[in-house]
Amino acid sequence: MKNSKIFWLLSLVLVLSAFLAACGGGDNADTGTETTDEKEGTETAGDLDSVQELNLMESAEIPTMDSAIAEDTVAFNILNNVNEGLFRLDQENIAIPALAEGEPEVSEDGLTYTFKLRDANWSDGTPVTAEDFVFSWQRAIDPATGSPYGPYMMSGTILNATAISEGSMDKAELGVKAIDEKTLEVKLERPVPYFMSLMAFGTFYPQNEAFVTEKGDAYASNSDNLLFNGPFTLTDWDGTGLTWKMQKNPEYWDAETVKLETINVDVVKEPATSVNLYNSGEKDQAILSGEFALQYGDNEEVVTDLEPTVFYLKFNQEREGAATALKNVNIRKAIATAFNKQDLADVVLANGSLPANFLVPTEFTFDESKKDFREVNGDMLEFNAEEAKKLWAKGLEEEGLTEVTLELLGGDTETAKNMDAYLKDQLETNLEGLTVNLKAVPFAVRLELDEAQDYDIQTSGWGPDYQDPMTFIDLFVTGSSHNLMSYSNEEFDKLVESAKAELAQDPAARWEAMAKAEKILLEDDAAIAPIYQRGEKALQKPYVNGIIKHPFGGEYSYKWASISGKE
Amino acid sequence: MTQKIDKIPELPKGSFERITLDAHQAERITKPSVSFWQDAWYRIRKNKGALFSIVLFGLIVIMAFLGPVISPYAPNAQTITHANLPPKIPVIEKLGILDGVGTLGGKEVDLYEMKNVEVNYWFGTDGLGRDMFSRVWKGTQVSLFIAFVAAAIDMLIGVIYGGISGYFGGRVDDFMQRVVEILTGIPNLVVVILFILIMDPGILAIIIALTITGWTGMSRVVRGQVLKYKSQEFVLAARTLGASDTRIIWKHLMPNVLGVIIINTMFTIPSAIFFEAFLSFIGLGLQAPDASLGTLINDGYALIQFAPHILAFPAILLSLIMIAFNLIGDGLRDALDPKMKD
Amino acid sequence: MGKYIGKRLIYMVITLALIATFTFFLMNVLPGSPIASADKLTPDQRAVVEARYGLDKPLPVQYFDYMFGLVQGDLGISINQFKGADVTDVILSRMGPSAQIGFQGMLIGTVLGILLGMVAALRQNTWMDYTSTFIAIVGISIPSFVFASLLQYWFGLKWELFPVALWKDGFMSSVLPSIALAMFPLATAARFIRTEMIEVLGSDYITLAKAKGASGSEIAFKHAFRNALIPLITVLGPMAVSILTGSLVVEQIFAIPGIGEQFVKSIMVSDFSIIMGTTIFFSVFLIVIILLVDILYGVIDPRIRLSGGKS
Repeated sequence: MKNSKIFWLLSLVLVLSAFLAACGGGDNADTGTETTDEKEGTETAGDLDSVQELNLMESAEIPTMDSAIAEDTVAFNILNNVNEGLFRLDQENIAIPALAEGEPEVSEDGLTYTFKLRDANWSDGTPVTAEDFVFSWQRAIDPATGSPYGPYMMSGTILNATAISEGSMDKAELGVKAIDEKTLEVKLERPVPYFMSLMAFGTFYPQNEAFVTEKGDAYASNSDNLLFNGPFTLTDWDGTGLTWKMQKNPEYWDAETVKLETINVDVVKEPATSVNLYNSGEKDQAILSGEFALQYGDNEEVVTDLEPTVFYLKFNQEREGAATALKNVNIRKAIATAFNKQDLADVVLANGSLPANFLVPTEFTFDESKKDFREVNGDMLEFNAEEAKKLWAKGLEEEGLTEVTLELLGGDTETAKNMDAYLKDQLETNLEGLTVNLKAVPFAVRLELDEAQDYDIQTSGWGPDYQDPMTFIDLFVTGSSHNLMSYSNEEFDKLVESAKAELAQDPAARWEAMAKAEKILLEDDAAIAPIYQRGEKALQKPYVNGIIKHPFGGEYSYKWASISGKE
Repeated sequence: MTQKIDKIPELPKGSFERITLDAHQAERITKPSVSFWQDAWYRIRKNKGALFSIVLFGLIVIMAFLGPVISPYAPNAQTITHANLPPKIPVIEKLGILDGVGTLGGKEVDLYEMKNVEVNYWFGTDGLGRDMFSRVWKGTQVSLFIAFVAAAIDMLIGVIYGGISGYFGGRVDDFMQRVVEILTGIPNLVVVILFILIMDPGILAIIIALTITGWTGMSRVVRGQVLKYKSQEFVLAARTLGASDTRIIWKHLMPNVLGVIIINTMFTIPSAIFFEAFLSFIGLGLQAPDASLGTLINDGYALIQFAPHILAFPAILLSLIMIAFNLIGDGLRDALDPKMKD
Repeated sequence: MGKYIGKRLIYMVITLALIATFTFFLMNVLPGSPIASADKLTPDQRAVVEARYGLDKPLPVQYFDYMFGLVQGDLGISINQFKGADVTDVILSRMGPSAQIGFQGMLIGTVLGILLGMVAALRQNTWMDYTSTFIAIVGISIPSFVFASLLQYWFGLKWELFPVALWKDGFMSSVLPSIALAMFPLATAARFIRTEMIEVLGSDYITLAKAKGASGSEIAFKHAFRNALIPLITVLGPMAVSILTGSLVVEQIFAIPGIGEQFVKSIMVSDFSIIMGTTIFFSVFLIVIILLVDILYGVIDPRIRLSGGKS
């Protein structure tokens, strides 16, 4: 009898697990059909619903709302919606005057900018003044603040920023001055062609000195200890929680453009949960990470975006003081061309990513005739297994090696792990004698290993902080804090330097120099091996209109968003 | 009882034999001498649940080694064009299950036909076109390896530590118990996570992390048992007869403590497998492309609505292993517990 | 008894001090940079940011600063996860939801587990026994993250009985997470009670009670159940640990603002002060539970004499 008990038990477990697993199967079909009738609403956009409420999710908590020390996407995203700088990215992702009243006056040498401020108020009714900018900029660069993004964004751009950030000069010497209450003068260290897009970045937002000083350590610790000057105000944020709201800011100078009354945000870290919340109708948008992109790939509510973020392999040429096999340019080239990027993007990632045969992403920067930077250089280091095999053999011969074992350091997300497993397989299949050992670690650990140059190959990604090819290209000059792989090419350095200095005022020549530098980096040296340009798929309810996704700075703007057709 | 005995039937003469009382026979044990193991085996045989579990577990172990070999695909070999195929088994497919049909864009289609795949994948494939059959068995192998090694190390350290602590007692015991107290005070979850972070991630790191505090449970049990038995008369007798410490420990204490040790180990193994799965969930599991049941389940559970087979097979296997171990453990506890002897 | 508790409390403090020391030094060999944009800064600039959080001081100084703060209940400030926030505040603000689902999970688990175990023992070898054994074994055979997401999918999304996730609807939000957490205590309690009760039911005093004509329910509750319940206290410790471990998974899946999910995040971003603070907090929790179990055991079962009682 006991025997039958066990059989009964086992079969029940099997049936149960299979049942539970299989039942999940057929269900994503109906989400697609359900929505077709709702789709009608989009066409009648313009008839706004009486309830203007948007329900969103974030993937992480807000680490800080202090614009001077913020360094993460969540904070910059919210800052972009509750605060405002001199400029703001518009619906076309072009930097347009925001708090600045019209375009600034620029001196002949391109080193002095004079901004006139428009009449705008903080959420407590006090006016935003030029002093507020001086205060926050100085605060961001002050070593006592310990801001990472202050020095990063200002060094080499704003006059004296580098010296102040290293503690050798007083913060009052920073090249920013309030001429009067509504006039701000900024002095630069060198001409910066993309300066306007910088002014849309969170680090350059103003802060009300009286308020910040009064709150002291408590400043920005929760939504009550903050002032806002943007389209929304942040409320119901307790500083450590997983939930907050954004409410329309009546004091905002352009309040009439803002349609949404409330945005409810919750932090959901589990991708499966965020999709379930979206399907239950509780949330209006859900980012489809990893496997979910594949799962919902053909759903009608999916919105695909191409981001200007590029992922690539960093080849470390010198590990722990000793040269690695990657010192050999043929070996680097072989590895860079030995994996099928198209399959990777289409099958493994399946989230709208593009195979990358470039460093500066496509659809990101344009010259004065609106021509994409990509059209200048075209594709480099394309997948070519045959060629790669030849280069590999040649490289091995030059180094006198028959077998090479390399460590591939990568991220610990599902997507990253899958990609690395794919790369390992591709490289080992196409390059005989190569063994790739994978090492997946959290981002914080990868940063440290990177810093110590303790890796062979690393999958790394970069998203821009301003709209210029330079944000990608100058990563690899000799001694850059991102070039922790002992790559050095004099000609490359020179080109970057000239684009930054003497060519700064000559857009065409500068463009040319940067394109040439990219060519050296990839085609000649294969210092890095581009993998893909990231795409992102998200589910978005059809009644949501006008959420703008930005390529840099704050990720989204809700200023122009509205709800129509939900009711 | 109700049957009445009317009369005693007559018995033929010669059926009985007169014996004389022999003092030598008085102490004779008629029951054949049964060793510890024979006895345990005898009793576990009566427990059908445990017996069945042993057989089942044996099959799983065999498959864990055989599976990757009989599959035509290596566990890590990728055929990217064959990604995310549902399971298809030649004969069973006629029954309308495991026939390679999956949903695509909300419609049921034979994905094998659609993707022009000639071969069969018994458990389907994953997102990189790897054969799940061979991956699941390889993963089972890895999970079992981790669990067995972790349990063996736990047992070794735990027995030695607990044994010394219990046997010598006094100050030694006092000190050793304080150490254990501190170790049990840190939640093992935290210790495991921190150690995995410190070491290079991989099988070794997971084993070390699991054992670093895992042995305390075993040491407690062993200490308790040793304390209990060392003051009993048979130990005293042995000591009086001049037996050395080593002899007392090995010949007199160990056999008595052995049952508890085995039972405890039986329950450490499933919890180690489980903990490994938990580590995969928070992203601290094995390094790709290696797989364990934990990482496979973690990979699969995101795809539950899209490709349920990726979750189902490793999950069922994990459940079976857990159930088998728990039943074997229960059975052994009954079999080895002297109190249950009849 | 008082003396025993006093002694245990002293040990507790020593244990905690050692744990704090241990974690502090462990933290310093832990890889990872707490500065999220370290790759964007020059070494000089990085040094400036590190100095802001006191990371530039020599290790012994940092250690004594930390221990000194700890005595005053100050766990330092967060570097990355909640820049500049007091770790103590972070933990306190996250404690409520964790405590609620943990307590409810434990309650549901033990009560149901005891019931299942009793039914199984009293109706040994019937379908009821098998069903309860089956539930108990399934409870410990399915990984909690699979179980939690199945709950979410069916009870939340498909049948709309409870919120899918989030911590918005008070008690209703806590139901599914509590059930997910309850599985381990349930399984443990059920198995434990079953074994204990079967043993008790076979003992002499039960036979005596039967002989004296006690009714079935009287025997079951007055004698068997009470005596079976006592040893259950010993597994409260492991149950509490399972609740802790489970909270990491369950809170993340149900998006609950608890300590567990915050701890996972702090590990991923290498926020050392939060990792340390949370570790110490977890340790205190665990040590207190262990102490309570020991004391409770001594109070309830007079046969057990606490080892310290002699002195």
